[in-house]
Amino acid sequence: MTDALARIHAAFADAGVTGRLHAVDIDTGAQVDAGADQPVCTASVHKLCLLVTLYGQAAEGGLDLTEQVECPPAGRTTGPTGLAAMLDGARLSLRDLAYLMMSVSDNAAADLLLARVGLDAVNRTTARLGLTRTLAVHTFGELLATIKEDAGPGGARALADPHVVARLRALDPERTNRSTPRDMTRLLGAVWRDEACTPEHGAAIRRVLGLQVWPHRLASGFPFDDVHVAGKTGSLPTVRNEVGVVEYPDGGRYAVAVFTRTARTSALQPAADAVIGTAARLAVDALRAP
Amino acid sequence: MAQPPLSQRIQRLEKHLGVRLFDRTSRQVALTEAGALLLTEAREVLARSEAFMATARRIRDGETGLLRAALPPDLSGETVAALLAGFTRAGLHGLELELHEQSTAQQLKGFAAHELDVGLIHHPCDVSGLELGPVLRRELGVLLPRGGAAAGLDEVPLASLTGYDLILFPRAGAPAVYDDLLTTCARNGYTPPAVRHAQGTSFVRGLVLSAEAVAFSPRDTHRQGGGGSRGGTDGDPARDTDDGVVWRPLTGAPLALRHSVAWPAGRGDAAVAAFAEAATHALRATAGATPDLPVRPLHLRPASEYWL
Repeated sequence: MTDALARIHAAFADAGVTGRLHAVDIDTGAQVDAGADQPVCTASVHKLCLLVTLYGQAAEGGLDLTEQVECPPAGRTTGPTGLAAMLDGARLSLRDLAYLMMSVSDNAAADLLLARVGLDAVNRTTARLGLTRTLAVHTFGELLATIKEDAGPGGARALADPHVVARLRALDPERTNRSTPRDMTRLLGAVWRDEACTPEHGAAIRRVLGLQVWPHRLASGFPFDDVHVAGKTGSLPTVRNEVGVVEYPDGGRYAVAVFTRTARTSALQPAADAVIGTAARLAVDALRAP
Repeated sequence: MAQPPLSQRIQRLEKHLGVRLFDRTSRQVALTEAGALLLTEAREVLARSEAFMATARRIRDGETGLLRAALPPDLSGETVAALLAGFTRAGLHGLELELHEQSTAQQLKGFAAHELDVGLIHHPCDVSGLELGPVLRRELGVLLPRGGAAAGLDEVPLASLTGYDLILFPRAGAPAVYDDLLTTCARNGYTPPAVRHAQGTSFVRGLVLSAEAVAFSPRDTHRQGGGGSRGGTDGDPARDTDDGVVWRPLTGAPLALRHSVAWPAGRGDAAVAAFAEAATHALRATAGATPDLPVRPLHLRPASEYWL
């Protein structure tokens, strides 16, 4: 296990990132801890907490997942995918908004759902599941607004400036939506063990997590046709995260949470994306070792 | 902090100030307008108080007060001397400067362990939890064999180095700096057939002379026509150009070493400020360091998950 930890830390260093990882065997509780209790910025990983809240409310009968939501083009939270990138009005069910939020990290869909269930409900859900170090303090639109405000008149380009990166509130776990790797594997474990809500709603959450389109992070570490990977990414300037569950055909299932900060400020860093998969694989291999 | 003690403390503070800071309902707590007005000043007071505590700690820890500072190994002796002279001129009485030679990685560890107060770091690096002085760039040029075709040019476009191997420091020393250099080379049309790792002055020079290879070196450690005359430039392969190796600037100055002073956020005080000022001035005056360039266009792709 110490060998696995050394290799995980070496992989992070080699990719030019500061990385925190927690991996847990969902059924035995065996774990790999590489900074599992460090506070981290969740970014879009917090959409998982929102998803579990939504399905939890549905399970309790508080809302109907097929309820239709008007999505007018005006006032949408910005983003490069899904409704956030679309130009015209739409009408979607709560569960289809959830699908967009999880499959392509649609910020507009996420904020429509957040408006429906409320930030407080998300925090009540995470508290109920024992995630004592997880807290949402703003919506996704508000989170992006802090970046815009802190970046100043230079806009997105200014995000390459180390001064700007050092002052972004969105990158300070004390001032933005936050969690720890251990809290996130705890949440995934609860979903996979059907402890977060009813088995029916748990299965729906797991389905949506398995529909995420991004192949470059967690999934890249498991290039095996018979291994199932479900997850949710989170990204901000210099932040690259993914939490998810890796399932093997022999029944082995592992919750993994990886949170990284890159040293470089450039937006495109394929090696930093890939090391999330590499580190997860090292951890899962260690958990599966006889 | 648990909720009840926090609420009590907020209530005590509101009573003390005679101002209502938060509007509370059973479900939500929101900052009042008065609270918002006070928030900015409160942050300033907290920052000032942290700086005050940092000074007190320093006075407490050393008999006369101690500033623990670090510099990277690649600075010239002249720059180090100018920095020390500048810091002394700041006239902070009773303050002792304890100077270490440390890589950026070592400095970041020192900040986290509270063993280092201030340092001069290389960018890019993980700047979370740090405050920074101005970022300065030291332009890099290329070391070439005197007989090579590119050596005949006044300025060498990176793309014209095509075919030459590149000699670079071992990647493990600073993976992010290494990757940034290679990415910028590729972006400018130079993808070396092979990268060979070397650091020692003689070894780098030997490789440039004997192999089909080039290396990068800062402008400040080379002066046209003055090769070898500036003492104290330790570890730089461009110091002496009498042996068949020449230094040329790169067209458009695409490559640079980037430095800034850094210290842990909230732990800056007068001594840290004096060190930052002296280091910045010394780099500008002796190493030809210039302000960081305006950044290039940025095209975020959908997987970035954010959009401004």
